[in-house]
Amino acid sequence: MKKIAIAGLLCLAGTAFAQEELKIGAIVTLSGAGAAWGQAMLYATELAADDVNAKGGLDVGGKKYKVKVVPYDDKYQAGEAVTAANRLVFEDKVKYIIGPVGSAAALAVTPIVDKNKVVMLTLGFTDKALGKDKAFNFRPNLTTMETSQPQINWIVKAKNIKKVGGLFPNDETGQQIAQDLEKAYSKAGAQLNAKEFFERERVDMMPLLTRMMAKGIDAIELDGNAPGTAGLIVKQARELGFKGFIIRSGGPATPEIVNVAGNGAANGMLVNTPINPANTAVKAYSDRYFAKYKKRMNGFSPAFYDGTHMLLQAMSAAGTTTDTDKVRVALENIKDFKGILGTLNWTGAEVYGAAHQISAPFYIARVQDGQEVIEATCSLTECK
Amino acid sequence: MNVSTMTENHNKGARTRAFDQAPGNAWKAWIPALLVLFAIPLLLAGNPFYIHLAVLICLNIIFVNGLALINRTGQLSFCHAAFMGMGAYAAVICTVRFQTPFLISVSAGVAVSMLAAYLLGAVILRLQGVYFVLVTFCFGELFRLVMLEGGDITGGANGIANIPPARLFGFTFDSKLSFYVLAAACAFLSIVFLIALFKTPKGNSLDAVGDNPDLAEASGISIQGSQTFAFVLGSAFAGFSGALLAHYLGFVSPESFNQHISVAAIIMLVIGGRGSVLGPILGALIMTPLPELFRSAIETQNIMYGITLILVLKFLPMGLVGIGAKLRGKKGQP
Amino acid sequence: MIRLRAFGDTAVDFTFLIGQALTNGLIIGLLYLLMAIGFTLVFGVMRVVNFAHGEFYMLGAFSAYVCVTKLQLPFLAAVLATFILTLVLGWIIEVVVMKGFRGEELNGMIATIGLAMILQNGALMIFGPDPQSMPAVAEGVVSLGPVMLPMSRLYVVAFSLVVLVLLYGFLMHSKGGRALRAVVQDIEIANAQGIRSQFMYPLGFGIGVALAAVAGALMAPVFSVSPSIGSTPLLKAFIVVILGGLGSIPGAALAALLLGVFESVANPFMSSSFSDMLLFGFVILMLIFRPSGLLGKAGR
Repeated sequence: MKKIAIAGLLCLAGTAFAQEELKIGAIVTLSGAGAAWGQAMLYATELAADDVNAKGGLDVGGKKYKVKVVPYDDKYQAGEAVTAANRLVFEDKVKYIIGPVGSAAALAVTPIVDKNKVVMLTLGFTDKALGKDKAFNFRPNLTTMETSQPQINWIVKAKNIKKVGGLFPNDETGQQIAQDLEKAYSKAGAQLNAKEFFERERVDMMPLLTRMMAKGIDAIELDGNAPGTAGLIVKQARELGFKGFIIRSGGPATPEIVNVAGNGAANGMLVNTPINPANTAVKAYSDRYFAKYKKRMNGFSPAFYDGTHMLLQAMSAAGTTTDTDKVRVALENIKDFKGILGTLNWTGAEVYGAAHQISAPFYIARVQDGQEVIEATCSLTECK
Repeated sequence: MNVSTMTENHNKGARTRAFDQAPGNAWKAWIPALLVLFAIPLLLAGNPFYIHLAVLICLNIIFVNGLALINRTGQLSFCHAAFMGMGAYAAVICTVRFQTPFLISVSAGVAVSMLAAYLLGAVILRLQGVYFVLVTFCFGELFRLVMLEGGDITGGANGIANIPPARLFGFTFDSKLSFYVLAAACAFLSIVFLIALFKTPKGNSLDAVGDNPDLAEASGISIQGSQTFAFVLGSAFAGFSGALLAHYLGFVSPESFNQHISVAAIIMLVIGGRGSVLGPILGALIMTPLPELFRSAIETQNIMYGITLILVLKFLPMGLVGIGAKLRGKKGQP
Repeated sequence: MIRLRAFGDTAVDFTFLIGQALTNGLIIGLLYLLMAIGFTLVFGVMRVVNFAHGEFYMLGAFSAYVCVTKLQLPFLAAVLATFILTLVLGWIIEVVVMKGFRGEELNGMIATIGLAMILQNGALMIFGPDPQSMPAVAEGVVSLGPVMLPMSRLYVVAFSLVVLVLLYGFLMHSKGGRALRAVVQDIEIANAQGIRSQFMYPLGFGIGVALAAVAGALMAPVFSVSPSIGSTPLLKAFIVVILGGLGSIPGAALAALLLGVFESVANPFMSSSFSDMLLFGFVILMLIFRPSGLLGKAGR
């Protein structure tokens, strides 16, 4: 909160001696359930903006633009996101929006951004967030749709898993992920045969775990849960004497899970991670993040840092900040972008009808004493 | 309150007349004033964001008017958002699934809200005070859970998207400005309706029940009848605003109708003022755009709300409307 | 639409299931009990439904978190400190904020909504939204056959029982406690008997919210700590108190344990959202047909 105020002040101070100003709006969740992700996205955008501003601004068609981020809270509610989008588009007159976090919010603001040709980079996990008719929507992060199949194929085979139980929050993200995972596990030859949905604020998982364990599952799936909740599930499952595997097929959150569950309980957990611990660029980014915001970086943040840089590069390439049709095409045309996460490309034409989904390398890691140890390196087709 | 001290020696007619005159009886003067107020956003047509806020204010006026109506019979509903949601979902399902015209969809939404309120009211209105609050609170939660579990019918947590815009007599309300005209007209009509209602004996009997149920019953007014009437009508207002909102945003989801929305309505009502027609208008007018001041610092906003709420309750129990009465020389205050 | 679960498809270990569910239920029931007794005490004294009750649970959890992780106090001292701090805070809030609303059901309730907003968002400003965790009081598991009893939860049980015994002793055998009970039962008679109710209001409110805070402090090492954790315990306290009858302490005790066991035992047979729906439906019926609660006198 204080940080946001300071960031706001810095922005104000910045404008006093700006050359030309380029505003990027952010519809992010800063309070309540999705706040960890909202902050990760907002800070990523701000750090990317800092990069270009430190070089004297973004060079577009010979003019230097100072990048300014305008963040609004959507409280993780679709209705609030619509109001925030209206304000950004019509009051602040932004042409670029980072966010929203939630799927419902992403769907709700899409008509506004499309009609007004605003380029939007959203986190929303729903498969309806991208599409042929949603020309201005892009997704710079991998979702369960992309990562689950190759990862689950590998885990099911390598660890000989037959029956899986999953706990999901009863909201749009949870329902969507449960659906995706059920398909992925059955394709891989295992079965997601215990599914539990619970209210987002729930903290006592023991009754749900008891019921799942009574069905004799080999593994528990954590994908779709907020980091803190996932930590509670791990802790309570181990307290109940669960000996099988704990898998998180998406949604980077290892430090938060270890923090809540403790080193012992989290040991042996198999997680999806977009970050190779050997990647020095991400390590440097993570240190910078901590230095500026005094918070540990959430795993989604690097994706949005790279995404914002891709967007800025597209503006330079298009030679305009106002003609978003050109910027959109320039963004689509970016190939082999060298981001901190690795080499990035757009994909998703077959799945979504538009190649607006990032394709990035990712990894399967085993958690050992709170650290991730890479077990397999994955592309969108297979893990090795 | 001020009235009860005056009423003891008077009959019911004199009492209610005195009540209605207390907050200001210049209806004729402020209907034109309202029209001017509703016309102001038209001058801001250049900025769609202000029009968007104006639309939300109009819908909130209808929504809070419904809550005010229920409250005037002495009950505080904690599931007002659930009835808004019912209206919204019923209307949207009609529009999307059965391709019914806008007018039919909205009517269906309102009808569903009214029917549900009638059935619920028939069993719960015998409860008073906190018991009524608690049972409506539980009902609000139940409604949200049912919408979440509604599968294909309600779209579950994802809700229903791509709702076509409102169409009336061949005109499509697909721009913010055109929808504002529609919403403003509806809000205005809801206000005029309430003014008219509280000029009739039926309206007076509602106030009588809210003010002193024992006295009202003694003078032959049915408490349960009056409260059911207000509950059904107030919930219809909520359902109506929900149906409009859904067609304006093009989107519904269970989270848009949770307890926070019911609480927000109560805050608007309390801060604006209970017991007058002007209160809900003031409440919606002030509290709807206020969050924009704090859009990137939501905690401060909520703390301010909390403090304002307590201060208003303590020093202005009649809400902001009460300021006028206080300034007018504390007429009738003990 | 609603998934009722049967066990047809998969083999299930029934002893484990029922034994584990019952023990879980009793442990969680004790937590509900602490919450609900405080809640019903506040209602009994003030005639006000305290919507800020969950926020005191949250404050208690944060207080224990700060005492243990930042000040390095032992857990027992942290719980004690939490009780005293929130008792004082509750006392002050009663005198400063709630005084004007004593006995005013609706306005008092709305005022507590304002109070809840202030407390929750204040915590959000100070501590941020991320869930924090504190070290478990005890590690390890005790097993009774197939049933696992985590030590961390057994500790909570022991502490809760101690708190309940102390509370019982205070209410039954101390002068202040007897006066408080008299006020809860009937304020007019209490006044007539010369009990100084001016003193009883802040005492009742303070003890009520301090019990919620102790519940929060006890659960902090078991669950995680964040500004939004108060809403679920508040909802459970609502349900318990409605079932037990507003203002009835024995009723709350019975209903809390029943609710804990119902939730845990129902879960193996139906999805958790369906058991929630069933619960709310039941609570609504209860309010309509027996608003005085399980143990209350019929009629009001």
